[in-house]
Amino acid sequence: MLKTGRLFALAVLLCAPSQLLWAGEISVETIINKTNCVSYYQGDDGRAKCFMTITDSQGRIRRRKFIILRRDEAPKEGVEGEPDQYCGDQKFYVYFQRPADVNKMVFMVLKHVAGDDDRWLYLPALDLVKRIAATDKRTSFVGSDFFYEDVSGRGIAEDTHELLETTKNYYVLKNIPKNPATVEFSYFKMWIHRQTFIPVKIEYYDQRGEKYRVYEALKVDTIQGYPTVIKSRMKDLRTKGETVIEYSGVRYNMGLPDNIFSERYLRRPPKKYLK
Amino acid sequence: MKIGSSIVRFSVDRPRLITGLMLLATIFLLLTATLPSIWPHTFSALHPVKIDTDPENMLPKEEAVRVFHDRMKRELSLYDMIVLGVVNEVHPDGVFNPESLRKIYELTEYAKTLHWQDKENPAKRVGVIEVDIIAPSTVDNIEQGGLGVVKFEWLMSSPPKTRAAALAVRQKAERIPFLKGTVISEDGKALCMYLPLSSKDISYRVYADLKEKIATFSGDERYFITGLPVAEDTFGVEMFKQMAISAPIAMLVIFLLMFFFFRRLIFIISPMIVALVSVICTMGLLITTGNTIHIMNSMIPIFIMPIAVLDAIHILSEFFDRYQETKDRRTTILNVMDTLFVPMLYTSLTTAVGFASLALTPIPPVQVFGLFVALGVMLAWVMTITFIPAFVMFIPQSSLENFGLAFTESDANTDSPLSRFLPWIGRITYQHAKAVMVTTLILAIIAGYGISRIQINDNPIKWFTPSHPIRVADRILNKHFGGTYMAYLALIPGQNGESPGQYADALADALATRTEELGAEIPAIKIVFGALGGELVRLSRTAPSRTELLDALESFADAQAGLAPADQFDAWDEALLFIDQQRQREQVFKQPQALTYMAGLQKYLLTISVVGKSNSLADIVKTVHRELLSGDPKQFRIPDSANAVAQCLITYQNSHRPHDLWHFVTPDYRKSSIWIQLKSGDNRDMARVVKAVDNYVAANPPPFNLTPQWFGLTYINVIWQDKMVSGMLQAFLGSFLVVLLMMIILFRSALWGILSMVPLTITIALIYGAIGLFGKDYDMPVAVLSSLSLGLAVDYAIHFLARSRSLYERYGSWSATAGPVFGEPARAIARNVVVIGVGFLPLLAAPLVPYQTVGMFIAAILLTAGIASLMILPSMITLFEPWLFPKTPTRSLSCQCTTCMVVVVLTVALVAVNVHQFLSVGWTSLTWVSLTTILILAGICILMSRRQGCKPKPPA
Repeated sequence: MLKTGRLFALAVLLCAPSQLLWAGEISVETIINKTNCVSYYQGDDGRAKCFMTITDSQGRIRRRKFIILRRDEAPKEGVEGEPDQYCGDQKFYVYFQRPADVNKMVFMVLKHVAGDDDRWLYLPALDLVKRIAATDKRTSFVGSDFFYEDVSGRGIAEDTHELLETTKNYYVLKNIPKNPATVEFSYFKMWIHRQTFIPVKIEYYDQRGEKYRVYEALKVDTIQGYPTVIKSRMKDLRTKGETVIEYSGVRYNMGLPDNIFSERYLRRPPKKYLK
Repeated sequence: MKIGSSIVRFSVDRPRLITGLMLLATIFLLLTATLPSIWPHTFSALHPVKIDTDPENMLPKEEAVRVFHDRMKRELSLYDMIVLGVVNEVHPDGVFNPESLRKIYELTEYAKTLHWQDKENPAKRVGVIEVDIIAPSTVDNIEQGGLGVVKFEWLMSSPPKTRAAALAVRQKAERIPFLKGTVISEDGKALCMYLPLSSKDISYRVYADLKEKIATFSGDERYFITGLPVAEDTFGVEMFKQMAISAPIAMLVIFLLMFFFFRRLIFIISPMIVALVSVICTMGLLITTGNTIHIMNSMIPIFIMPIAVLDAIHILSEFFDRYQETKDRRTTILNVMDTLFVPMLYTSLTTAVGFASLALTPIPPVQVFGLFVALGVMLAWVMTITFIPAFVMFIPQSSLENFGLAFTESDANTDSPLSRFLPWIGRITYQHAKAVMVTTLILAIIAGYGISRIQINDNPIKWFTPSHPIRVADRILNKHFGGTYMAYLALIPGQNGESPGQYADALADALATRTEELGAEIPAIKIVFGALGGELVRLSRTAPSRTELLDALESFADAQAGLAPADQFDAWDEALLFIDQQRQREQVFKQPQALTYMAGLQKYLLTISVVGKSNSLADIVKTVHRELLSGDPKQFRIPDSANAVAQCLITYQNSHRPHDLWHFVTPDYRKSSIWIQLKSGDNRDMARVVKAVDNYVAANPPPFNLTPQWFGLTYINVIWQDKMVSGMLQAFLGSFLVVLLMMIILFRSALWGILSMVPLTITIALIYGAIGLFGKDYDMPVAVLSSLSLGLAVDYAIHFLARSRSLYERYGSWSATAGPVFGEPARAIARNVVVIGVGFLPLLAAPLVPYQTVGMFIAAILLTAGIASLMILPSMITLFEPWLFPKTPTRSLSCQCTTCMVVVVLTVALVAVNVHQFLSVGWTSLTWVSLTTILILAGICILMSRRQGCKPKPPA
């Protein structure tokens, strides 16, 4: 599995120039699929230490520190040399360290592309494991300007996609929700980098066509061959607050075992993978 | 009066010049006041009309309570809110039926669109703040989602389709303490949405738009819009309508009354011109000097108009009577002006002083009001002594042919009710002087009792009449909900006196304990925590504060962790965690003791009848805690540790509206506030709550030295009201002393001066006694009236006493004088009462209560003052005739030792009152200075009165 990933990374690098050549004919489906892969599915698993800075309209700052572990429920029959096109179910394990009073808190998600996700919360101070049900995924992620859905990824089947234009560096996509009642936006625009397929900017528009929320990838690095966003920002134009996440210690293909994404490990974090 | 007669002569000789000057000044002021409002850019150097109906501005901007209010509003992102209530009393499920909820949903969606680009700053948006709207479709619900599952969702993400779904909304909301009694009523009949506004001055626009939208709905629902910002803004709009209606009506009424008395259009035009010009000039000056039009000074025109006409009526009255003697307008007007100049000067001055004394109150709008009415009164006086004579010269001699004849005939008719009634009064005062005085005394005692019962109270919502939509909304919504008046009680921890050194010692102890705890688990802990301890000792000698100590310690640990060998890595992680834990101990409102105290205080607040409900951080924590622990009602409590609180709060923040938390606590968890919903916005009720909380806090000392501090509009109203009462008292005292001094100088006698103050003192006592007895609230307009009545009521005494003295000289005894005094002079006073009293009466028809109050009380004051002057003064003269009319000839003021001394005491007292007001010098030191000054000046009085020039001249 690890090998496949590396080979895939190599393939991406090798393919880059040729991609540019046939970019003109690329379909919207291909763009959105690749974007989805690059954003949430690089490698078979991954880890990042996240440093979150939430700044409100008055410049008051709150900080959070947590580690995200992610594992893809990848198909076993991955073909070597072929780009990994897997974008199915995933598991996330979010381990909080700061502020000190939420140290050891864990948030776990079993993401199902078809159907609702399973979410668990472990609150160490109450020694409580709780399943969380939510009617929608567009709620704040631990009080930040990022939504839960921004962290785990929005299913590409939930929107219709339209290529608005292709600029020198970007594909500009307009995404319209198929079920508008479950979301607060009427559409969102994505600026997708043509070479890396990283969404560099996302703008959300409300029912009146007013822009109210903006995501930006501020820093990108290539880690183990994967183009990786290592600093991003979400701005809420209504509350005038913003949240910046800086990612460090990013590693792909660590060989995370499946069993750590279980209720048992909520109380006993897998320290080995968190260092 | 030499200067007087030369001014009049000048006016009579150059009528065109005088008229021209007056017109020029009026047009100039009119233009400077109106042009900048019409073309603000062309005339940017001038001040446009500024309106301000914000009761907050009753206090200066830099007033401590306002500074704190603004700061807390900013720190907790609180905004002034419009409250929109929907009530359905017809449907059995109340508003919780699909149809009503659909309308509420639609209305919320509509309210979200009510914001616009700011005219002055296009980058800014003004109007409803969408993200902070509180409505069923914009708030979150937290509940059990099955076994071991907690569920977060919008309370009403879309309008429910079925009855069951509609009732479920109610059921869910009832479980959330924040919503129950705030968003939904306990009886399920009503629902409220709260629309926060970027600024108060936009509320009328939002109000009007909402009303328009509501008009498109049909059905059983009733809609009510209230909230202080709407009340204030609506008041501003109504105030303008009022000014456009009341002032002209007052003018019309005065015009008609004068026409009734004098029956010559050409003649009564001149007083109307004087009134109009005085109003235009005063308002023009008010605007050009950059003052805002406030609820108080919007009444300026209505105050100036009747007063301005007053002097002119005297002149006309005299001119009317005397014209036929000479049939020459020039001679007549000169004679008239000669007689009336001094009384007119004094009556105008006393009125002006009464109003100007309002400048002594610490309330800026009242100060401006007082000064400008005083200015208007003096302007009217100047025009009366210049323009009226000039105008008389314009009237062709021919049209004066029969002038005054008709009047003389009717006046001579002794059968007129006034002519029979007044002499009857005169006889009573002469024959039953003692009875009159005893009656007065009894009335004064009753009044004193009444005054002691005065209720100081105001409420901007009550500025509207009870039938006004805003008052109705206020009444209905406060019946269904916990209250629409919001008061905020901030809790802020006191300074911790610990020095960095002491803090470091405590830290070292904690470090040692932690080393013990972790020693077994992490072997490297001893070395690492030892190093940290060493650094702590070093830093504790130099660190200027606790935060800096922690910051320095953290940078040290951070650096060390980066360099540390792998086996120490975990230990350094623990070290960093330890430091952050220590820092978090400063987060007072994550500590269970603080939240428990808060909850206790809230429980106590509910025992105060006017408090309907309160919301706080404690409620949020309790609700989340309960839902996390399977919705068990027993778990509706504050968890036991700060970490548990923090974890409840971070769970809460996983919602659609994480920022809601910051309305209750600042992100540093150092300041928190309790929202208290009051069912009444009366200052008196708010003051009661404040006192109750003070008592509670005194009896239950809060943890962390938490100090309660109030803010919010309802509380600000209490503060300015307090200031107004004490300020008014000083203002009244000040103007009373000034007027008394003026009277002593006018009559050249302390005794006469004091005598002239008796009717107005009784009048004021009776009026305020009546206010206390009838339970009318002592509010802003009532407070202002004390100074007004002082200025107006003394006028009658001046006229009555001046005429009595001159008639006494002719008749030689009071028994002979009393009859003539109750002829023409008494009639003049009675006529005056009618003209001005009736002139103010149109205010009674006003839809705004403060105007009604003013109208009614001025009429009452004038009537009482008139009766008091005509009854008490003659009775007193009857009783004290030997002292008031001594056989020895009157000497100059400086020769009368007693009068001189009274003047001295008054002057010093006056200075003392003023100095106390403006320099806030304590009374004790001031008292000593005053006493010394009085003694020195009294000595001078004695010396002066004994000088040679004062020796009574030997009878010739």
